[in-house]
Amino acid sequence: MAEVSTTKGISKGVVKLTVLLGISFAIILLFKPFATEEAYRAFPVIGSRVWVWIIAQLHLNFAAFVLGVPIFAVAMEFIGWRKSDERLDKIAHDFAKLFTVGYTITAILGTVLLISLPILYPKFMEHMMKILGPTWWLYIVVMYTETIIVAYYYYSWNQMKTEGKGKHVFLGLLVNLAGAALLLITSSWVGYMTTPGGVSEAGELVSRWDAIMTYMWLPLSLHRLVANVVFGAAIGAAYAAYRFTTSTSPEDKAYYDWMGYTAAMICIAAYFILPGIGYLLGVEIYAFNEQMGIQLMGGFFAWLWVMQAILMGLILFFINYYLWISLNKMPGGERYFKYVKLLYIFTLLGWAIWMTPHSVAVSLEEARRIGTYHPILGNLGVMASKNTATIVAMLATFYSYAIFRIANQEPTVPWAKTGTMVKAAVMIASFVGILWIGWYSYIVPAEFRVKVLSTIQFGLFFGVMIATLVIDKYLYKDAHIIGEPEWGKMPDRSQYALIGVTVTFTWLMSLLGYMRAGGRQYWHVYGIVKDTSPDAFLPTHGFASVVASITTILFFFVVAAVFWGIIKTEKVPEGGTS
Amino acid sequence: MLNIYPIIAGVGIVISIISAMKKAPFFNYLGILMAMYGLLKCVEFVAPPLPGQVILMYMAMFVFTFLIYFSIKEDQFQAFLRPMKTVLADDDKKILRVLIVYIMIPVLAGYITYGKVKPQLAPPTSARIVHPEPPASITFRGEKISLLGAESPVRNDTANRDKHFEAGKRIYYQNCFYCHGDDLAGNGYIADAFNPRPLPFRGTDTIAQLPEGFVFYRIAKGWTTLPAGSTPWDSSMPAFDTFLTVEEVWQVTFFIYEATGNKPR
Repeated sequence: MAEVSTTKGISKGVVKLTVLLGISFAIILLFKPFATEEAYRAFPVIGSRVWVWIIAQLHLNFAAFVLGVPIFAVAMEFIGWRKSDERLDKIAHDFAKLFTVGYTITAILGTVLLISLPILYPKFMEHMMKILGPTWWLYIVVMYTETIIVAYYYYSWNQMKTEGKGKHVFLGLLVNLAGAALLLITSSWVGYMTTPGGVSEAGELVSRWDAIMTYMWLPLSLHRLVANVVFGAAIGAAYAAYRFTTSTSPEDKAYYDWMGYTAAMICIAAYFILPGIGYLLGVEIYAFNEQMGIQLMGGFFAWLWVMQAILMGLILFFINYYLWISLNKMPGGERYFKYVKLLYIFTLLGWAIWMTPHSVAVSLEEARRIGTYHPILGNLGVMASKNTATIVAMLATFYSYAIFRIANQEPTVPWAKTGTMVKAAVMIASFVGILWIGWYSYIVPAEFRVKVLSTIQFGLFFGVMIATLVIDKYLYKDAHIIGEPEWGKMPDRSQYALIGVTVTFTWLMSLLGYMRAGGRQYWHVYGIVKDTSPDAFLPTHGFASVVASITTILFFFVVAAVFWGIIKTEKVPEGGTS
Repeated sequence: MLNIYPIIAGVGIVISIISAMKKAPFFNYLGILMAMYGLLKCVEFVAPPLPGQVILMYMAMFVFTFLIYFSIKEDQFQAFLRPMKTVLADDDKKILRVLIVYIMIPVLAGYITYGKVKPQLAPPTSARIVHPEPPASITFRGEKISLLGAESPVRNDTANRDKHFEAGKRIYYQNCFYCHGDDLAGNGYIADAFNPRPLPFRGTDTIAQLPEGFVFYRIAKGWTTLPAGSTPWDSSMPAFDTFLTVEEVWQVTFFIYEATGNKPR
């Protein structure tokens, strides 16, 4: 990519943002959306709801991308700087390149949304501006701030590479802080719509701070923050996978293989935290309104949790597959294939139970033979088994990673045998403990299961991971290296697994976004502003899945264009690939 | 009628074992899939049969995960692909190629398509909803009762637990047991007439998952005030607020929890 000066880069960013905002305001002023008695305007052919749904989801996908990738990039840059590892700096720079382009697309989609909402939903937007208007102006200020810092961060990379690296990392930190501020502001809007507070029953503002600080605000923000890291890293992994499969030189293949591995491991590490935070979000929704909680967890949306389980398990399998194949490139890795069988069985059983529905779609004939609940499936479809299955599958995935890390090493410390036995004992005890808690969960009151046993199970999961990593750190200190990992020696199908992770996670984001929004049912703002449009009904899961699929396809179409654009603008290195 | 599923499972297991011994992963894969399908169908020997949709989900999972399993090691994956490559590319396999690619696969696809499009007399499958979300409050014979976080006055009246239990039992056997059954397992005399069938109260997966206020609401209002958000509903649960008093509904709620050893959420 041609060198652009920092000042020019910042100016470009500010001009782009100003032009997009100018276009939005000009169109809004031209249409005078609020000067109408009508509560709704119809969007041609597909209707207003589907239009806003697709644009908002696409905007959210790119926003997640541009908020998640910087966390990853700055972490890489920081570690690269402290360890003087040039590869890490290069990977961080590559990611900065990705999210810099991503910003422009996010802003364009945001502009379309900004124009669409007040024109199509004037009364609802009038209410939102009345309650949360000042946060919108703050949002613009933070957007400008972020644009300036991002441009400065990206375009000053080479300039500050040798001198002032610390300052540059600090700039990256500021990028993330500004991103977090944007996330908090936008989550406050969604939080208000779903779990409103700070207003009277008639919708009059009582306390603006209470309208911001709703039940959903912080758990949703936290959930989105972690999900953004997963998503950003997944996009990074998909980018690396794409570059790997299209590279021809061994150097490029080695680099993109390593990049894909690093991104995928960050993705899965953050992924492990997601269920716990999702749990917290669920607790807050229940605390706000039991009705909404029941509808989301056990009512109309129950089947989407089955779909979620299928997709989440699929992601685990993709990651496991990638790690198992990766053993082939580790000298000494063949010693561990015998354990892969066991990990495969645990992951498979975990996934099977996780996806088993409690109430199943059955024909009349089947219903007569099965009864209300199937005696086997009914018992597998409840929280006691689901939590256990989820944790077992995730723990098996962790052990796939733990095996890969040490596959090319042999411990040399005098207590190696004892250490290995302790590690094995920790692993066996953890699996037994998690399974026992799962069984015990069946026979205790729900409250104890939800508040105590689930917490212990998740605590055990994280405890075992930390214990294993700590033991390995000392056990493999000064270990004998059988051979260096042969980066680049990976079949293409391993890279498709990484792309699979990204596509699955994106689709999942769309589906769960629909579920979160659907929790409001026929309300724009739950219990305050009623949806009186012709779209005031919940679409079928089939229809929602189609919209989520279209959005995902559109997203990847644009992402592919971004990847392609980046590759095209790169200089062709000697003997390398473009 | 002969049940062929144990035979399918058995043949699948034999194919799988022989293929594993002969190091032929592709046929091992097919054998495992056959065995899994047969075993899933054989569940009906020990429990009610698994619904078709669940078998479909599990089989899709097996197809995917076993494919993954056989493609981890490069040499095994190449051995897995070999029969397909041989049939598709080798000159001396022309007849087999015609047989499989041009006859067997199209015929199978046609058969499956025919099965999908032929007119069916059975009503369409529908996803069932477990719990309708309760409203914030209900009107019970003119009295407004808040359901959010509602606590049972009967449960809290510890001095008269036995009296409430006996009253709840009487109410249950006068009104509920015809559908929900003598042992509260959802298998009453007329349970077979309904789809979905009446709810069982035993086990840890029904009322144990619910707050007591929710059960109160379902007994009081039955199918009559199911939420607008999730229509259409399939429910034949009568509304008992026309037959019972508020206290009686709490008493029968108390009884079904106590009699099954469950605790409300």
